[in-house]
Amino acid sequence: MIALFAGSLLSVTLGVALVQSSLLLLITAATLDPPAGLGAAERMEFSDNVTAAVAMLGVILGIATFLAGFIISSTFAFTVAQRRRDFALLRLVGAGRGQVRMRLLREAVVLGGLGAAIGVPAGLVVMAAQAALMRRMGFVPAGFAGEWRPWILAVSFGTGIALSLAGAMVAAHRAARVLPLEALRETGAAARVMTATRWIAGLIFLGGALALIIVAPVGGPGGGAAMAMNVPMPAAIAAAALSPLIVPLLGRLLPTGSGVIGALARANLWDARRRSASVAAPLIVLVGLVVGTAAAGASFTDAGIGELQRQTRADLVVTATGPVGPAIAAVPGVASASTELSVPATVDVGDESFSVSALVVDPAAYARAHSVELAGLRGHAVAAGPGGEVPAKGSVRLALPDLDLGAVPVVASVPATISGGANLLLPPGLVPDRLLAAAPAQSFVTLAPGASAGTVRAALARIGTVATAGDWLRADATARSEVNNKIMVSVMGIGALYALIGVVNSIVIGAAARRREFAAARVGGLTRSQVLRAALVESSAVTVAGILLGGLAAAGALIAAARTTSAVTGTTTVTMPWTLIGAVCAVALLVTGTTSLITSWSATRPAPILLLAARE
Amino acid sequence: MTRADAAVTLSAISRVYGRGNAAVRAVDNVTLEFARGAWTAVMGPSGSGKSTLLHCAAGLERVDSGRVLLGDTDLTAARDRELTALRRTRIGFVFQSFNLIGSMTAAQNVALPLRLAGHRPSAGLVRDTLAAVGLADRAKHRPRELSGGQQQRVAIARAMITKPDVLFADEPTGALDSSAAAVVLDLLRTMASGGQSIVMVSHDPVAASRADAVVFLRDGRVVDRVAGADALEIAGRLASLA
Ligand SMILES: Nc1ncnc2c1ncn2[C@@H]1O[C@H](COP(=O)(O)OP(=O)(O)OP(=O)(O)O)[C@@H](O)[C@H]1O
Ligand SMILES: [Mg+2]
Repeated sequence: MIALFAGSLLSVTLGVALVQSSLLLLITAATLDPPAGLGAAERMEFSDNVTAAVAMLGVILGIATFLAGFIISSTFAFTVAQRRRDFALLRLVGAGRGQVRMRLLREAVVLGGLGAAIGVPAGLVVMAAQAALMRRMGFVPAGFAGEWRPWILAVSFGTGIALSLAGAMVAAHRAARVLPLEALRETGAAARVMTATRWIAGLIFLGGALALIIVAPVGGPGGGAAMAMNVPMPAAIAAAALSPLIVPLLGRLLPTGSGVIGALARANLWDARRRSASVAAPLIVLVGLVVGTAAAGASFTDAGIGELQRQTRADLVVTATGPVGPAIAAVPGVASASTELSVPATVDVGDESFSVSALVVDPAAYARAHSVELAGLRGHAVAAGPGGEVPAKGSVRLALPDLDLGAVPVVASVPATISGGANLLLPPGLVPDRLLAAAPAQSFVTLAPGASAGTVRAALARIGTVATAGDWLRADATARSEVNNKIMVSVMGIGALYALIGVVNSIVIGAAARRREFAAARVGGLTRSQVLRAALVESSAVTVAGILLGGLAAAGALIAAARTTSAVTGTTTVTMPWTLIGAVCAVALLVTGTTSLITSWSATRPAPILLLAARE
Repeated sequence: MTRADAAVTLSAISRVYGRGNAAVRAVDNVTLEFARGAWTAVMGPSGSGKSTLLHCAAGLERVDSGRVLLGDTDLTAARDRELTALRRTRIGFVFQSFNLIGSMTAAQNVALPLRLAGHRPSAGLVRDTLAAVGLADRAKHRPRELSGGQQQRVAIARAMITKPDVLFADEPTGALDSSAAAVVLDLLRTMASGGQSIVMVSHDPVAASRADAVVFLRDGRVVDRVAGADALEIAGRLASLA
């Protein structure tokens, strides 16, 4: 009983803490003012970074809310299932359905309030950890720290109570339908696990995941990636909801040679489908979310890298500052060079104003260096770049750091790419030289036939840093993968920890109700170590099942990524983050194994006869 | 026996578990009246349908056909809300496993049905009810601090506090040794003699011999009945069924 309440309370507390922390960080980032004394260009860059951080924190908040809702409701459903007999007993002595339901909802309010009371201070600790992580990953400025807002108290208590109530709602409905007769069945409820709610939720979310997988390829590089990354959530919910169908089946696959222990574990898996499903649920979400998102992210990153490699036509890449184009073109042995100067800009489309990255290019050279068509870009006009987001037709209002260019027609566009890049391409002459003096410049240089690479390199080295195109692409690929990894760690790290705690929670809750079962097995002739081993085999089987089902959810994201990369770049790209997968599996097995050993060890400490004698 | 004399009337009730080849007719077309103010025992071999019959008679289990009347109230037509109300006011239960709530004291367990019905039972009423089962001094104890026989007497007190029309008991002495069982049977005898209707399932001829009448079941059917028989005769009849 204590374990049930403590378990529910823990799930609410951590959920509130995580949501509060993510929300406070988001608000802090969104209201961040640029430090005094920045120039116009630096201010634009600062606000670009803030926009990126806010977007990332928005995703983090979304995941936190999703996890909190999922873990709280699955924990509540589990504790209520464990208390079926109590509710049946109450019904037997005259409790009405409404009374059972009200009792649970009242409990939910108390747990929600209590969870928020502990969750608010805990949230401050989580916030410090999350902010430190984001600082370390370089997504926020060095001094960034979440700020306390008084109104968050109301939000956190509201979140705690609302999530508990929502989580308890379905469970309370089920509890109210418990038949009084169930109190009399000695061996606990053989209640149906695959309820209508589970079927409906499972099928709806499965449909949602399939829809995302189907639609992703037509979403373009940006939308398709977003859809693919969102597949794991509905897919994991569907897998968790339908898991009672599948987990016990996997139990049958346990090696039959494992004798009495294997037989006991197999029987338990079948008989305790509810418990197995409850342990598997957070695991499915953990594996599905972490592996699915990471694998999809890695696939898109690799697709972008491959795309860039196929499209870039250059021998050398020069990185310099300012309008170095003429100087590079003048170096003997240079056949052509696309020099691209990067400037921040703000674009208004309709009522919306957003900051974009713009490149000042030589259209002909750019088209050659990047295998695209870019005709007609000259004068007072712009082209939509490979970064997308800007309409390919019509006109946009364009402002540079301290220069309003007014309405400018969009006269051309290059296809949006997965690797992204500039949103706008500007012709030479549109941007005054004073704005270009300090602009970062990148030149893609093609050598004249017969020119000596060494000589040209030496000459170019006086202008900027020179790398062969191969080296530059490799360095770019490494940088992209690193950024992708950092994003994954920032977005998933703390959520994954929460899901892992949810797994431990379910095992502890499940073990609390198993003292009698263990005692019966020991009276039936099993030694304590055999009981412990059976519990370990059972928990490992459930873990493997959870990993496999989570893997299925992750596979959904990978399929969406494969289809999208194929549609956008023409090459199907699938990257399996094997190290991460191995680590997730190992941690999951280790944590569930250890927890189940500890809990069953402590549940078998009293002499079995004491437990069997107490027939309350 | 007229309708008004029956505490519970079963008219042609059947209860089938499973379907097709696996179907078990746990109760097979039973018509039976349990007399008001009397203690009736239901006996039969294991699996003969005794518990199922009791559950059907108490409105805990639906019947597949036939009708169950509690006094004049038709349980087969009753909705959950009405059945709940009946459990609070007119039906009491005692079972082999005592089914007390472990986290509550004896007094709290006894007061529970009235509290669920929205009443605040006086401390005096709870004390008197516990005293009636001989446990006045154990009010503050939790179930795990009581012996099996004491727990069962708390369960009886809990069933009796609502002054039910009928007390249903399934093997109330099944988990008790003979001396604890004797205390419980004495208690039931006193209640029955005071006019309480009791329907009790038992496989113990000694327990059944304390009842006013005994009904014998086999394969879900009533096959014999006897009134005022002693334990030896009951044991003989039971043996002839097996
Ligand atoms: N929930 C159920 N599902 C399927 N079959 C059931 C169920 N409950 C009882 N039965 C079957 O119905 C028959 C009668 O069961 P019941 O429990 O009424 O017997 P009983 O006379 O009380 O036996 P005992 O003396 O062993 O308690 C048995 O064959 C039993 O297997
Ligand atoms: Mg029985």
